[in-house]
Amino acid sequence: MIAYRLDTRSGLAPYLQIVQQTRDALRLGLLRPGDRLPTVKEVVGSIAINPNTVLKAYRELEHEGLVEGRPGVGTFVLRSLGGPNTDHPRLRRRLERWLMEARDAGLDDESISALFSATLRGSLQQEDIA
Amino acid sequence: MIWLAWRQHRQQALAGAIALGLVASFLLATHVGMSNFFHSLGLSSCAGSSSPTCGQLADQFDRRYQGLQFVIPLFLLVPLLIGLFWGAPLVARELELGTERLVWTQGITRRRWFATKVLLPTVTAVAGVAAFAALVSWWSGFFIQIHEDRFTPGIFDIRGVVPIAYALFALALGVLMGTLMRRTLPAMAATLGGFIAVRTLVTLYVRAHYLPARTVSDPILALGGGKGIGLGPQGIGNAWILHQVIQSRAGTVGNPNDLFGFFAAHCPGVIPPPPTPPSPGRLTACVQQLGIHTVTTYQPDSRFWAFQGIESAIYLALATLLVLVAAWVVRRKLA
Amino acid sequence: MTTDLKTAAIETSALSKRYGHTWALRDCSLSVPAGKVVALVGPNGAGKTTLLHLAVGLLEPTSGEVRTLGSPPRERADVLGRVGFVGQDVPLYPGFRVREMLEMGRRLNPRWDAEVALDRIRRHDIDLRQRAGTLSGGQRSQVALALAVAKRPELLVLDEPLASLDPLARREFLASLMEAAAESEVTVLLSSHLVTDMERVCDYLIVLSASRVQVLGDVDQLLATHRTLIGPRTDGDEVAGVTVISAEHTERQSTLLVRMDRPVLDPRWTARDVSLEDLVLAYLAHPTSSTLPGPTAGPRRRMEVGA
Repeated sequence: MIAYRLDTRSGLAPYLQIVQQTRDALRLGLLRPGDRLPTVKEVVGSIAINPNTVLKAYRELEHEGLVEGRPGVGTFVLRSLGGPNTDHPRLRRRLERWLMEARDAGLDDESISALFSATLRGSLQQEDIA
Repeated sequence: MIWLAWRQHRQQALAGAIALGLVASFLLATHVGMSNFFHSLGLSSCAGSSSPTCGQLADQFDRRYQGLQFVIPLFLLVPLLIGLFWGAPLVARELELGTERLVWTQGITRRRWFATKVLLPTVTAVAGVAAFAALVSWWSGFFIQIHEDRFTPGIFDIRGVVPIAYALFALALGVLMGTLMRRTLPAMAATLGGFIAVRTLVTLYVRAHYLPARTVSDPILALGGGKGIGLGPQGIGNAWILHQVIQSRAGTVGNPNDLFGFFAAHCPGVIPPPPTPPSPGRLTACVQQLGIHTVTTYQPDSRFWAFQGIESAIYLALATLLVLVAAWVVRRKLA
Repeated sequence: MTTDLKTAAIETSALSKRYGHTWALRDCSLSVPAGKVVALVGPNGAGKTTLLHLAVGLLEPTSGEVRTLGSPPRERADVLGRVGFVGQDVPLYPGFRVREMLEMGRRLNPRWDAEVALDRIRRHDIDLRQRAGTLSGGQRSQVALALAVAKRPELLVLDEPLASLDPLARREFLASLMEAAAESEVTVLLSSHLVTDMERVCDYLIVLSASRVQVLGDVDQLLATHRTLIGPRTDGDEVAGVTVISAEHTERQSTLLVRMDRPVLDPRWTARDVSLEDLVLAYLAHPTSSTLPGPTAGPRRRMEVGA
């Protein structure tokens, strides 16, 4: 079951954070079609937020066609995001190792993110060229 | 609400029951000894008699149980204790703890809350004090047989039904003081002061006037054998004597304590210089010449229960008034 | 779930309360919308407790009126049976065991769900046999909340419930409170002099300052209509289309917290979102400003030039 977190310093509205975290989970395959999302009560019981925030997020996800609310039963995942094989355990492990090296080298999160973005852009350009 | 009132009142009621139990044990224990001594002296056959032998036996009994007689005034405190420990904290404690914000936001009205909270100690007070008064009456039976005195202030207050009325008055006073002062200790102090003030005032100044007093004139008895003048009124039994004056044919003598001075002024030579005692014959002659007699104002013993009833009614009326004021303050004024 | 916008859990009209010569609350007219979690914020002494006590019948108004769940709450057992109240410093009977506190609630309220109360007590590892006076601050709050929630109330009113709790206990209490809000359509009104905790849980805001209502409105709407504007130092100019709530100046820069009456198109100003805390602080620092629902929000105020 997915556990949501609220980042108070992020510029993103709370309900959008929930939407985002749900989408991420779907993309990574942590949530699969047929899985039940936590109830509103369960969510607010673990992170203390207004129930309407959760409802708003679930409505948004429903609007995007990702989940479906069945009254009296719960909210269920309808489809996943991204193509197949979005979770690569091997790639993930290698990424984790690389991240450890990057941190050891003294890079902070922002630098890592910048390095990644730049490299990604660079590789896309190369693909274009190729 | 009854459950809550009981749960809050539980310890106080228990303390009262224990106190009653201790007192009962004490009274029971001492009663055995008194009973044995009473009968061994043969005082049971002295009922109503005024013979000198009975008088001497009575004195003996009195001397032996002198100490115990001092216990009796302590019983006057019982109604006050109920006011202090059951009445004063009733509302004040709730306000001190701030729990009125809890209990007055449950699904009940303040009226029901107050009524139930007051009713419970009232019922236990009536039961407890009634039992206590009956116990004291039974225990003091021997003293009553000897002294046949039930109307005297102090004795009147612990007999019959008035202790219950005093207790309800003290309870009501405690509740009102707690409501007005909002703190238990100041409420207890105010209850103490108020109770003593009212009880003293009523006993000393009001009680004598419940029914019009009777008066009786008696001739002075001049006793022989150097025993001086006997002033006792005759034929009124164990009345409550309010006051006595000594009058001559011409008017009041004035200070009955200076009777001899009066004699000396009006019957020359009747009072010889000390150490010679005055002659009974010449005293009697002087008394008859001046027409000296006592005028006693009293309430007859037969009115005992009428007075009990009137005094109880007064204290019950006061208690009702105080509780109604407290109820009004709780409903209208308290935050 | 939809809530009828016309239904108000609490409605006040020119509500005022005076103690001797001091007005604790002055001319307060507001409507607490049903089904929402409402924050009542303001400095100490602003009248928050007075307002809450008036709403639950602990106080009687000096003038004006208050209606809770449709009726004036004073001496109304039927209203109070549908309102759960947790007073400041969480009053409980110190000598009562926890289960006796629950018994009290059961006997004094027409509606009582014992299972709800027991479930909450158990989940927080509170011993039913423990005396209320020996509970920790967090446990007391949970017990009081359980007592209030077990009444199955339509309205929950809490006076500074977080004040004496450590951060963990505060978070747990808020989570517990939100569970209650999620379970039913209950309206929650809670007061605090700390705003940070309120932002994550509340969707409606009341700001009380100096015994008067200063701000009233939906949190999302307030945050959408207020911005921090940063731009070059301006003295005495009004910024078009906004009402300035607070202003700070350095030699060359002005930072304004504004309410936008229409979108700001002036390119000199950079607009940033505001947090609820910033918004509340700005209003509290400027008692003459106010944002109240209604046809107009009052005349535009000149920006005050600071020293």
